[in-house]
Amino acid sequence: MNLPGLAVRNIYRNPVRLALTVAGVAVALLTFVTLRTAVMSWDEAKNYTLKDRLVTRHKITFVMDLPKNYADDVRDLKGADGKPLIRASTYLNWFGGKDPAHENDFFATIAADHNTFLTVYDEIKIPDDQLKAFNETRNGAVVGDLLAAKFNWKVGDNITLESPIFGARENGEPWAFKIVGLYTTTSKAVDRQTFYFRWDYMNDGVRAEAKDRVGWIASRSVDAAHAAEVTAAIDKRFDDADTQTLTQDEASFFQGFMGMVSSVLAIMSYLSYIILAILGLILANAISMSVRERTNEYASMKAIGFHAKTLASLILTESTLIALAGAIPGVILSYLIVDVALGDFLEYNLANFFPVFRVKIWTYAEAVAAATVIGLFAGIVPALTVARLNVVENLRRVA
Amino acid sequence: MIPYQYNLRSIWVRRVTAIITVLGVALVTAVLAAALMLAAGVKKSVSVGGQDDVAIIMRAGATGELESGVDESAVGLVLSQPGLAQENGKPIGGGEILVVVALDKLGAMGISNVNMRGYSDQSLKLRPNLKVVEGKLPQPGTDEAMVGRGILGRFKGLTLGDQISVRKNRPLRIVGVFEDGGSGAESEIWADVNTVRAAFGRQGGVSVVRARLASAGGIEAFRAVIEADKRLGLKVKSEPDFLAAQSEGLSKFLTIMGFIVSLFFSLGAIIGATITMHAAVAHRTREIGTLRALGFSRSAILLGFLMEALVMTVTGGAIGLLAALALSTTKISMMNPATWSELVFALAPSPQAFITAGIFSVGMGLLGGFLPAVRASRISPLAALRS
Repeated sequence: MNLPGLAVRNIYRNPVRLALTVAGVAVALLTFVTLRTAVMSWDEAKNYTLKDRLVTRHKITFVMDLPKNYADDVRDLKGADGKPLIRASTYLNWFGGKDPAHENDFFATIAADHNTFLTVYDEIKIPDDQLKAFNETRNGAVVGDLLAAKFNWKVGDNITLESPIFGARENGEPWAFKIVGLYTTTSKAVDRQTFYFRWDYMNDGVRAEAKDRVGWIASRSVDAAHAAEVTAAIDKRFDDADTQTLTQDEASFFQGFMGMVSSVLAIMSYLSYIILAILGLILANAISMSVRERTNEYASMKAIGFHAKTLASLILTESTLIALAGAIPGVILSYLIVDVALGDFLEYNLANFFPVFRVKIWTYAEAVAAATVIGLFAGIVPALTVARLNVVENLRRVA
Repeated sequence: MIPYQYNLRSIWVRRVTAIITVLGVALVTAVLAAALMLAAGVKKSVSVGGQDDVAIIMRAGATGELESGVDESAVGLVLSQPGLAQENGKPIGGGEILVVVALDKLGAMGISNVNMRGYSDQSLKLRPNLKVVEGKLPQPGTDEAMVGRGILGRFKGLTLGDQISVRKNRPLRIVGVFEDGGSGAESEIWADVNTVRAAFGRQGGVSVVRARLASAGGIEAFRAVIEADKRLGLKVKSEPDFLAAQSEGLSKFLTIMGFIVSLFFSLGAIIGATITMHAAVAHRTREIGTLRALGFSRSAILLGFLMEALVMTVTGGAIGLLAALALSTTKISMMNPATWSELVFALAPSPQAFITAGIFSVGMGLLGGFLPAVRASRISPLAALRS
């Protein structure tokens, strides 16, 4: 029998312990993959945002708005050579709407200029007849298809929302909307759970001092490669004005609002290393125990002429093989639980945070590699112990 | 009962694997305890200093001060209602405005949001614990500001003598640093209410009105009066109730996340304990057979081995708790979604964290030790002694 063969046989000598160890490694790797995928999916959400879509907001604070004419100034911005820098721009307001019928369900309500909105967000698709109705209905709203499904809303429904930010309409009437369309998207950069309505309807209803103010301006630069320079040019445009602006690409804009998520993800990243430490402890425990039980055998093998090196590599092979035996079910479990089940759930329910939640091939590779390396390290101390074994003393020892 | 020394000594014989098991349990307990202490820390720093006899009057639909708006005309109306404590014939209370400013983080990339509160001399009367510990109190009606101890030095401009810009050519100068008994205010910048209103174009009103009630029990009557007037569209909350709601989202989130992660982690530790105990039983078949032959009952054997597992996991739990406690000196900064701003807080050792971590480590011992202990108790004395 060759050496790897002996290592394999050794693994099977204690089936209960083998099963426990394999289960431990698999659960640890499942946890590792879940944590890593959360961290990586969050980073990856950035890749879906557009580099050439720029967002301009109040420089000091997001609670203050901008004069509406800033939107025109952004749209008309020209470069040093006199060529336009911006190919499309629109303006939006956060409405903070709540549906009294769904008190505890958060959804985004945004007032958008219906004339220009779809030129900037061209991933949003609305059927032609519904778009026509949106243009013709002052209190019309277009709602993401996922949100509509969640609340069982249909085209033609009348919805009344409350806004703690703006209060009631100026004339005392409630904010009444008519759903005229449902939208889908062609890219994950825009979620399908937002309630968009016409900015002019909002402007009609707000108090005098809030009229003709916009929350933020979204624009598309002509040349995506030079978006950074355009960003600077927009802010420079308003440098001398009373209200200054902060322009960011879409990714930075969203991340600014989701600071909490990033600190939670930092914690998750630490936790993914702690679970590897636990994995190491499980493996070290199992292998040191096997070696301890077989001390006599190793002493005998040494006595009949096996080299210390041979014995050490026998133990290292065994511990690495055990780790691999756990890694395989770990990867399969991860695929089923994280990639399939959790991925479907999160992409549907938390699309704002995780437009895509799928395990990367790279993460599987990381998990298998981590298990293998940890398995190897877990075997080092027992391997050294056996290599230094005193033959006479251990043959005399009674187990 | 088997003498406990027997089990303690047999742990010592297998000390390497015992230590590994203890460490695994310690890691799990530390993670769980730290998560619970994190949640408790959020709760503590947000709700500390809440006074039963202080009422917060805000817009009916608003969940926080940031969302709320109270018109200037309504402020006078609210303060003229009966039931408020008086001083020199005037009610104790006034409007405050809360806004958010974006500042560059120090020592980390990017910008983050910080709460700025516009306050009046009335606000100071409602916060008896607030005191300036460095520099001086800002002069009312000027562009002077003070900064809470918690965020001092964490953002660009937030140091004594430095300045931050909120309006073109009108920077706010930081002239003081204050403490407020560890409350959430220590994560805020405070400036004169009129200065903040002017800078943020909010001359027409404030965010909320805070007022001291004549007695804590008077809140129901006061609420009835204010909320009866539907045109005002305001609601009344006691300060402790209001503050509890401010920390609820974040602390609940941290608690749930802590439990989910710890459950997965504890599976690993339980398996570790089982491996150890399984080996302990397998090695001592003869010993156990002897004990049975001597007359120890099956249940005594079962209990003995369960105790052995428990000794290891409870030791691990204690070490994990100590590790989590050691973390409690570090300050953590996290965004509170209720205020959209950075909250600086420390892990707070809470009885809940200790009890839960204790229960977890006992649970890991029972679950990990149960199957091996059952196996030990089933060993037949005859067969064992013959082997």
